[in-house]
Amino acid sequence: MLSYILRRIVATLPVMAIVALFVFSLLYIAPGDPAVVIAGDQASPEDVERIRQGLGLDRPFLIQFGSWVWRILHGDLGTSIFTNLPVSAMIGQRLGPTLSLMTVTLLLTIVVAVPLGVVAAWKAGSFIDRAIMAFAVFGFSLPVFVVGYVLAYIFALELEWLPVQGYTPLTEGFWPWLQNLILPAIALGCVYIALVARITRATMLEVLQQDYIRTARAKGLGQGGILFIHALKNAAVPIVTVIGIGIALLIGGAVVTESVFAIPGLGRLTIDAILRRDYPVIQGIVLLFSFVYVLVNLMIDVTYTLVDPRIRY
Amino acid sequence: MDRRTVLKGLAGAGGLALSGGLSAPAIAQGASARTLRFVPQANLANFDPIWGTQYVVRNAAALVWDTLYGIDSSLQPQRQMVESEETSDDGKTWTFKLRPGLKFHDGEPVLSKDVVASLSRWAARDPMGLMIKALQQELTAVDDRTFKWVLKQPFPKMLYALAKNNSPCAFIMPERIAQTDPFKQIGDYVGSGPMKFAKGEWVPGAKAVFEKFADYVPRQEKASWLAGGKQILIDRVEWIVMPDAATAAAALQNGEVDWWESPIADLVPVLKKNKNISVDIGDPLGNIGSFRMNFLYPPFNDVRARRAVLMAMSQEDYMRAIIGDDNSLWKPLPGYFTPDTPLYSEMGGEILKGKRNLDAAKKLLAESGYSGQPVTCLVAQDQPITKAQGDVTADLLKQLGMNVDFVATDWGTVGSRRAAKTPPGQGGWNMFHTWHAGADCINPAPYTAIRANGDKAWFGWPTSPNTEKEVSSWFEAKNLDEEKAAIGRLNKAALDDVVYAPTGFFLSYTAWRKNVSGIAKGPLPFFWGVSKTA
Repeated sequence: MLSYILRRIVATLPVMAIVALFVFSLLYIAPGDPAVVIAGDQASPEDVERIRQGLGLDRPFLIQFGSWVWRILHGDLGTSIFTNLPVSAMIGQRLGPTLSLMTVTLLLTIVVAVPLGVVAAWKAGSFIDRAIMAFAVFGFSLPVFVVGYVLAYIFALELEWLPVQGYTPLTEGFWPWLQNLILPAIALGCVYIALVARITRATMLEVLQQDYIRTARAKGLGQGGILFIHALKNAAVPIVTVIGIGIALLIGGAVVTESVFAIPGLGRLTIDAILRRDYPVIQGIVLLFSFVYVLVNLMIDVTYTLVDPRIRY
Repeated sequence: MDRRTVLKGLAGAGGLALSGGLSAPAIAQGASARTLRFVPQANLANFDPIWGTQYVVRNAAALVWDTLYGIDSSLQPQRQMVESEETSDDGKTWTFKLRPGLKFHDGEPVLSKDVVASLSRWAARDPMGLMIKALQQELTAVDDRTFKWVLKQPFPKMLYALAKNNSPCAFIMPERIAQTDPFKQIGDYVGSGPMKFAKGEWVPGAKAVFEKFADYVPRQEKASWLAGGKQILIDRVEWIVMPDAATAAAALQNGEVDWWESPIADLVPVLKKNKNISVDIGDPLGNIGSFRMNFLYPPFNDVRARRAVLMAMSQEDYMRAIIGDDNSLWKPLPGYFTPDTPLYSEMGGEILKGKRNLDAAKKLLAESGYSGQPVTCLVAQDQPITKAQGDVTADLLKQLGMNVDFVATDWGTVGSRRAAKTPPGQGGWNMFHTWHAGADCINPAPYTAIRANGDKAWFGWPTSPNTEKEVSSWFEAKNLDEEKAAIGRLNKAALDDVVYAPTGFFLSYTAWRKNVSGIAKGPLPFFWGVSKTA
């Protein structure tokens, strides 16, 4: 197992290299110029050119790419063109809020979506099933920002239960941390809950037709035991897969959610960097996200062995 | 390794990440009456007011760095760090003396050598600074508090140049910082202004914090814009960046922030209904909407094509697209200079007044030789003002019978593509939309967009010798009457040649909680004199 994990981690390196080349090339050919943004609207073309030279953006592609790769190999993600701060420090500043948001959303999803899917499968064809599936369609259809605005209006402006925006680190207390994340996590989790609930229902329906479930019933096992111990465990592999894939959805959704709820996370950093053409920051974040995605896939594979002992690597 | 070990490890790693070194400063909580929470117009992404000249950088810099002179609300330069100045009889030598007791945030005194280094860096980037630099014989420190600027010929607008609020302002920094190449960014933010920058709390794109500088010595005069006594009545100002306007509006209503610099017009009615919120015009100098036509390529290399567009355009259409139905927020602008300022002129503005004459415009366009070639119109969709103007222009050009190549893109791309001098079909362009702060359009000194010196002019590269002649006349003017006369002629010349198309003058609001007082109207948010009750 350990050697398998190590092999997989080593296998991420070529993936990361391809991502790096792709991202760098894409940014190089993309329109837009950070020097223009820095110089401001009143700057002369000469000023813009001087700034471009100062930033080294006038150098040929291969030289720029080569020096970037060299720095990456030395563990240096570079320096932001705009803030003059190390990209790694900027990512470090933003990692906590995004990780918090994704963790709470993930937990919320598992706690809500899996039981909903199980119940829908158990009561397949009933009103409860239809209601849960209607909720799932609803969750799929509503954009994150719409859910976010509605939640903020009801729970922050009208009821005044929760704040509209911001982020408080966990070091300042569990409740202050959580209260800033409840609304964003619900908004972000809607699509995710819908996806996982539907997959859980579909997988459970298949499992509930199996002979061993009939045997369990014949042995007189209770419904809860059948559903959550025998059936759910055997339906877990596809559910875990979808939860893992859904993390990619979370990364994309976090960009919007963090903007709507003014959470200073990686999603907002990404948008800001793209709009300003802050190339080192964009490159650093994309590399990080691609690494996380590869890592999540690895974790899913490892999780298979936890939920199904028959799987061995 | 068994699955229990893996699960424990994952839980431990997650807990560590969430509680340990990955935490960021609190954004929303713990504000007190001594802390003012402010939502700026844009993200403070860098903090060098000479290197990066965006307005938001200038606004933050005005807290941290002081200037020798400051412009007041009557647009006159007033002494700020300077105690006195003398001009030689021939007008070529300026001698300045600093106020005693000025200190930087690191405790060091402000000396003449700091001023010399700061002015040298500023003069390398600022349009007026460049003009002074071109005339400069020497800029030297005479003693710790006295410095001298010797020119080859008189420069009557010297005090205005040192006082102006247009970016880049002549901010004074310690010599060691000011010696940084003006085209490279500083990393040390020590100033002598009324507030200190809390670099450790800076989360670029999210939050910037300023703390009261206890050793700041304000002037005795009443504060007026960048002039007078900058009395800080709060301990701390937190700039909280909110990219989403609806969130900022909700946060202001919920009391999570105290002051929102630039609420969008659509949300103002909601804010006005809230009994805890005050809403008023933020900057009486407002903004001038514009689109620029490329003088290098057909059809707009012919003045008749440019005048045809001007003849047909309705400024009301543009203003309603930007502002909506609030008529108090806009006015037509038959010229280029900010309304209600001393040099405002409508000379030559007839082409923009009265009923629009589409038939005459079509005829003039045909005379220009336009034969249906595509007109590449760059429109940034991520900026509400440019998007609104672009939509109106596209309709206008179609009414004129022009073949519109509407390039819907983002502001970053417009910013880059507008610099291309290649033909429109090869990465260039024919038109793009923007707007100018009214504070930049009060006279020709900071007004880059009005210059018409061809290759050296702003994007579109207009050529208009008469316009340039009158710019020079203004710089040489010795009194207000001469200045007014020069600006009248300049306005006419620029409209005759259509240096750019002004789409109208518009104002915008600012909004704050009613427990905040002392907010002054002006071209930037002034924090001196602002107080807050619990």
